[in-house]
Amino acid sequence: MQVHQFHPTVSFGDAISNQILSLQSLLRRMGYRSEIFCERLPTHFEGRARHMSQYASYSSSTNVLLSHFSLGYSPAVLDWLEKVPDRKVIVYHNITPHKYFAGINDVYLEAAQAGREQLNRLSRAMEAGWGDSTFNCQELAGHGWANPQVLPIVFDPKRYAVRPDRRVLKRWRDGLNVLFVGRVSPNKRFEDIILTFYYLKRFVQPDARLFLVGAAQGMETYLEFLQALVKRLDLPDVIFTGHVSKSQLMAYYRSANVYLSMSEHEGLGVPLLESMHFGVPIVAYGAAAVPETLSGSGILIKEKNYPAVAEMIGLLVEDEELRTRIVTQQRKRLEAFLPERVEACLREMLSDLSAYGTSV
Amino acid sequence: MSDAWIEISDENINVEEIMQKIRERTARHADVLPSDDLDKPQVVAEALWAEMIEEPIESSIFLKGIQIRQRDCDIVPRYYVIDWRIPILGPIHAIVRRFINAEIRRYMLPALKKQSSFNRKVRRALKELDRENARLHQEIEILQQSQDIGQF
Repeated sequence: MQVHQFHPTVSFGDAISNQILSLQSLLRRMGYRSEIFCERLPTHFEGRARHMSQYASYSSSTNVLLSHFSLGYSPAVLDWLEKVPDRKVIVYHNITPHKYFAGINDVYLEAAQAGREQLNRLSRAMEAGWGDSTFNCQELAGHGWANPQVLPIVFDPKRYAVRPDRRVLKRWRDGLNVLFVGRVSPNKRFEDIILTFYYLKRFVQPDARLFLVGAAQGMETYLEFLQALVKRLDLPDVIFTGHVSKSQLMAYYRSANVYLSMSEHEGLGVPLLESMHFGVPIVAYGAAAVPETLSGSGILIKEKNYPAVAEMIGLLVEDEELRTRIVTQQRKRLEAFLPERVEACLREMLSDLSAYGTSV
Repeated sequence: MSDAWIEISDENINVEEIMQKIRERTARHADVLPSDDLDKPQVVAEALWAEMIEEPIESSIFLKGIQIRQRDCDIVPRYYVIDWRIPILGPIHAIVRRFINAEIRRYMLPALKKQSSFNRKVRRALKELDRENARLHQEIEILQQSQDIGQF
């Protein structure tokens, strides 16, 4: 009984790698032998993951191979996947629509375009399709996948039991701190966050501060645009942190009064779950999988009216009762992503898979 | 702004009351909001996007046959790493590889990033010069036309 996982690469800290590692723990706890295989094996991950060339000695037609898909596979991986005799399941984390990368990064644009085209080809090579959200499953269905199922992201609070960085906490303890966490990418519409912040700072809370936490590798052109916008609007309190350590990330969540998302494309949105965990009230634009992730918790915006959103943030900070209610709802919602809940779901999905073929 | 632009699914929270408060507050600031469209931050952002990302510098009289895109300016090879898979020295080769990659990055990246940033600035300057050149051409044409009319 073996359930292995594949993804082109893994690293510490990104959402997909965290999901892969969490699923490995769950699978091992459920009694399956479970290893992680990659095409490009980062040096610091040696020992925790293996190169795909080693998979031959694990491969069997009774095994299940969960193949995570987020940006598109290389031709070598596509050929390899088609040849592997295991029962293959795609775990779809969604691909950012390529239109967002036009004029910003050609490599991403082409990879995103190719990735979506691969979804059709993969539907013939794979036995089943799973997605992190209904939104992702709907997209799979649109590419010819029959009955895709939702395997939620695992949110393990133990991963967040890290002491927050003291310097960050001390530096930003006063004032109103607005936070957004995510890779600097045009689909996340950082400019809309900055525009909302402009109104918040000018008309609602002059001591407000905006933290934009996330790496910008490969998105330098977009980052340059955002920095020019901040300069043009004269907003010195917008802070681009770049990549931060785990303890710094914890400190930013602890310092935040509000989490603001204006993103237009999210396959799920792990930072939303992190905000729920840290008790930061969420104000988020309802696009893609965001409404589903929040599922009635937080404050969902249906229109990007910047002055009104800024007032909403001001109100949320002033009204303690409203804030408490929002945070309580968010905590309730987070329960659906806890390891024990996802484990039950995974167990059921694997047994469904075995019901349709040889036993897993 | 539509009537239900926010959604809060807690029956204990009076969403209508919140929306009313927001309406009152935004109305209070209406006088101080930028009146001129060009000063609106949304317009500033759109113009900046068009200037920095959207518009490629098309071939013109000034830049004959050259099309300079934003992406052409970035010369940093972000995805390149030195890699080999000869399992003879075990973990030693991993350490050596890590060291070489880190050293190359440390040495090369600052210079390449500076060059990319300079390229982007040059591109922007070229774009402005190109516009200015087009405007001057137009002015010359108008002047020539008026001069021709004067001669007749």
